Amino acid sequence: MATFDVVKRDAPKARPALSKFSWAWLGVLPFFLFAFMFLIYPSSTIALGSFQDTKTHTFTFQNFAHLLQSPSLIASYWISIKISLITSIGGGIFGFLLAYSAIRGGLPRFMRSSLMTFCGVASNFAGVPLAFAFITLLSPSGVLTGWLKAMGYNPYFHGFQLYNFWGLSIVYMYFQFPLMVLVIAPAIDGLRKEWLEAAENLGASSFQYWRYVAFPILLPAILGTMILLFGNSFGAFATAQALTGGAINLVTIVIGSQLRGDVLGDAGLGYALASGMVVVMVIAITGYTLLQRQTERWLR
Amino acid sequence: MTHLKLTNISKEYGGTTVVQDFNLDVEQGEFVSFLGPSGCGKTTTLRMVAGFEKPTSGTITINGQDITNIAPNQRNVGMIFQAYALFPNMTVAQNIGFGMQIHKESKGAIKERVNEMLALINLEKHANKYPFQLSGGQQQRVALARALANRPQVLLLDEPLSALDAKIRVQLRSEIRAIQKKMGITAIFVTHDQEEALSISDRIVVMYEGRIEQVGTPFEVYNFPNTRFVANFVGSLNTADAEVVDPVKGLLSMDGIHFESAEGTKDRKKGDKIKIAIRPERFGFASEQKKANVVDSTIENITFLGSVVRIQLKIGNTKFNMDTFNNPFLELPKIGAIEQVTCSREAVLVLDE
Amino acid sequence: MKRGGLVWSWFWMILGILYFFLPLLATFLFSLRAIKGVLSFKAYQNLFVTTDFVTNFSYSLVWAIFTIVVGILIFVPTAYWVRLRVPQFRTAVEFVTLLPFVIPGIVFVFGLVRTFSHPPFLIVNSPALLIAAYTVLSMPYMYRSIDTGLRAIDVQTLTEAAQSLGAGWETILFRIILPNIRVAILNGAFLSFAIVMGEYILAQYLAKPAFAPYMAYLIQQKAYEPAALAVISFALTWGCLGIIQLVGRGSQQAQIAGGH
Repeated sequence: MATFDVVKRDAPKARPALSKFSWAWLGVLPFFLFAFMFLIYPSSTIALGSFQDTKTHTFTFQNFAHLLQSPSLIASYWISIKISLITSIGGGIFGFLLAYSAIRGGLPRFMRSSLMTFCGVASNFAGVPLAFAFITLLSPSGVLTGWLKAMGYNPYFHGFQLYNFWGLSIVYMYFQFPLMVLVIAPAIDGLRKEWLEAAENLGASSFQYWRYVAFPILLPAILGTMILLFGNSFGAFATAQALTGGAINLVTIVIGSQLRGDVLGDAGLGYALASGMVVVMVIAITGYTLLQRQTERWLR
Repeated sequence: MTHLKLTNISKEYGGTTVVQDFNLDVEQGEFVSFLGPSGCGKTTTLRMVAGFEKPTSGTITINGQDITNIAPNQRNVGMIFQAYALFPNMTVAQNIGFGMQIHKESKGAIKERVNEMLALINLEKHANKYPFQLSGGQQQRVALARALANRPQVLLLDEPLSALDAKIRVQLRSEIRAIQKKMGITAIFVTHDQEEALSISDRIVVMYEGRIEQVGTPFEVYNFPNTRFVANFVGSLNTADAEVVDPVKGLLSMDGIHFESAEGTKDRKKGDKIKIAIRPERFGFASEQKKANVVDSTIENITFLGSVVRIQLKIGNTKFNMDTFNNPFLELPKIGAIEQVTCSREAVLVLDE
Repeated sequence: MKRGGLVWSWFWMILGILYFFLPLLATFLFSLRAIKGVLSFKAYQNLFVTTDFVTNFSYSLVWAIFTIVVGILIFVPTAYWVRLRVPQFRTAVEFVTLLPFVIPGIVFVFGLVRTFSHPPFLIVNSPALLIAAYTVLSMPYMYRSIDTGLRAIDVQTLTEAAQSLGAGWETILFRIILPNIRVAILNGAFLSFAIVMGEYILAQYLAKPAFAPYMAYLIQQKAYEPAALAVISFALTWGCLGIIQLVGRGSQQAQIAGGH
C-alpha cells in the first residue's frame, strides 16, 4: 500500500501547479456569461428593483413597507404558505408511507420499481394537463363525481369544492407525494438490516427499534424532503392558474397578474413581492441542504 | 459443563440444505470458531443461535434452557456484526447503553456500566462522539462494548474483523480474545480466515457445505486434519497422487518415488490410490542424519515472503512448495540446481483421493 | 414483516395507485366521449385536423430540440473542464446550476421580461430569449446528468491516457469523452424534453406559441379536445421518462421546481 501511495503522489498530473498563472479559467467563461446574462442578471434586477423607488430610482425600503402594510398581499403569502405546508406535510407523510411500504413492507419486488417509475412520471406531470385531469375527475360534472353520485353520494352537497383552496391542495398532492417517494427512497434503502438485528439482539421490540433507531435516523431526511416539497408547491403557478383561472390569490398568481398589467399599480411592490418569494425559497433550499447533509452522514 | 448446546440443527431454504445435522457442545467460557469458505453455513448457524433464523429442525439450549423458539429480543445473547451496525444517530455512550436503556435500568446504573465498558475498550475519550467520527477498529470495539454491556450469556461474532485493515485486524483480534478471557464469557466466532481462527480459538469447528468436517483445538486441526478438505483449507498444503506400496510400513509411491508415512495406511491395501499431503514448512534440505524420505528435487523458483522464503521444487513430475524461515545467513540454492530434500515420516499425510 | 404490516403496505399502495391512475383514467374516458353516446377517438381526430394543434405542438418540439442542443453545447464542455482543469470553480458552478430551483418560474420570467423589454437588451420578442430561458430551466437536470456521467468515467485518467497515446483535444472530446457519457447526455436530454414540452409560464409570458399555453387556451374553448391533449401530454412525459429508465437504469432524478 505504502509504495502505491508514493507512486501515485509522484505521478504527473493533468492539473497544472496553482502557483503559475493559468488561462484555464477561460474555459468556464461561456457558462458563467450565459448564466449571468439569462439567470443571475434578470433575477437580480428584481431584487434590486425591490429596493428602489420606482420614480427616483433611489435606494428605499418603502416597497417592503408597502408590502407589509397590504393585507391582501400578506394574505396571498399566507395562502401560499398554508397550501405549501398542508401539501408538504400531507404529501410527505403519504409519500413516506408509500415508499416504506414498497421498500420494506414485504410487497412483491416489482411493486417497488413500478412505484418509482410512476413517481418519476407523476412528479413531472404537472401544470395545465394535471389541472385538466382533475377537472375531468372531480368537477361537478366529473367522472368520479358522476360515479359517486350514482352511488348516492354527491360530494358537492357535503361542502366539497374543486376550485377552492382544498381542491387545489388535492391537485397539488398529485405531484407532491411522488416527489417525496423519489427523494426519500434512498434514505429508506439506507436503513441497514443489521440495525434492526442489532436492536433486536439488544432486546428491543419492533416498536422500540422504530422509536429509538429507525425514526431518529430517518427524521432529518423526512423533514428535509418535506421542506423541499414546501418549496416545490410554494413556487407552483401553472397548475393553480389553469385550475382556478387565478381565483385563488397565491403569491405566484398575484405576481402573474402584476406581470401582465401592473394590477398593483406599483412596480416596486411587484418586485418586493417576487423578492420575498425568493427569500422563502432560499430558506427552504438551505434547510433542505443542511438536513440532507446530516442524512448522508448517517446513511452512508 | 456444557453451556451452549446445538443438537441436530438443520436449516433449509426452499429445498436447499444450508446446514445439516449440526451438533456441538460449547463449555462455559470457551472460545469456539466456525471456520469455512463462504456459503458453508457458518453464518447461518450463528444467526440461528442469535434467533435471526429459525432452524428447520433441532434444538439450541443455553444452560439447559431451550431457546430454539425464543424471539431474538428475548434471548440475551450478544452479537457483533461484520459491518459494526452501530446506530448512527447515537453517540458511543448511547450505543453502549442502548441495551440497558431498553431493559429500563436506572440512569445511574447505565452510566456506571457504560464507563466500565469504555474503560474496557480504551475509548473513554470518545464517549460523546458519533460512530461516523470513529475509525473502523474503534467502531468495532464500541460494538463489542455494546454487546457486552447487556451481560449476555453468549457472545456471537460474525466475521467482526473482515472489514478492517490487516494491522488493526491482528491487534483487535488479540484484544477481543483478552476481553473474552477476562469476562469469562462463552464466545462463538465466525470467520473464513484460517489464521484468525487458529490464533484466537480454544476450539475450531471446520465447516464445508453445511456439514461439520472437524472439531478440534487449533493444534489438532492443523496437524491432524481429519479430511482432505480440512487439510487443504487450514494452512497450505502440497498434494500429489500416489499409491500404497506397503500398508504395514506405510510405504507409498508417487510415480516410483517412495515416501514413508507414519500413519494413515493401516486400513488400506496395497495398490490403493491415495493422495499424499505435505505442508510446505515440513520440508527441509537433507542433512547427514536424516534417513527417511530423502528425495532429489529440482529448484524451480525462489520467492521471498518476508519472514519465510518459499522455494518451488519439482520432485519427479510434481511441483511442491517448501517454506523455510528467513535469516540473513541463509544459503539459498541456485535455480535449476538439484538438491536433496527431506521430511519426517510424521509430516507425510495420507488423504482419500 | 408481520401480517398487520403487510395489510397496511397494501392499503397505502392501493391508495397511491388510485391517486395516480384515477385522474388519468377519468381524463382518458372523458376524451373518448366527443360523440354523444359512443366511445370514440373523435376528439383526437379533431385535434390533428386543426392546424392550431399541429402548429403549437411543432413549436414546442422546435423549442425542445434547440434547448437540448444549446444545453449540450454549453454544459458538456463546462462540466468536463471543471472536472479536468479548474476544480476550484466546482462549488460556484454547482451553485449556479441549482439556482433555478431557488427562483420560482414566475419570478424568473418576471425578471426576464423586465430586463429584456427595453434597451440595451430589447430581445423579449426573440425566440432566442425563450430558448435561453428554457436552457436555464433545464440546467439543473442537464448539468447534473452530465456531471454524474463524467464522475463515473474518471475524466482525469481517461484524458491522460488519451494524451499519452497522442490524441489531440478534439479526439479526446469527441472520440473519448462524449461516447462515454452518451447515456448521461441522453438522460439530461429527455428530461429537458419533458420539461420544455410541459412548460407553461415561459411560453405564456414571453408570448410564444407552445403546447401548454395552447392547452390552457383550449380548456376555455372546448371540452373533449383538452382531455385528449392532456392524455397526449401525459403519454409524452411517460415516454420520456420511460426512455430514460430504459437507457440509463440509473440516477432517478425528480423534477423539483418549475413547470407546476
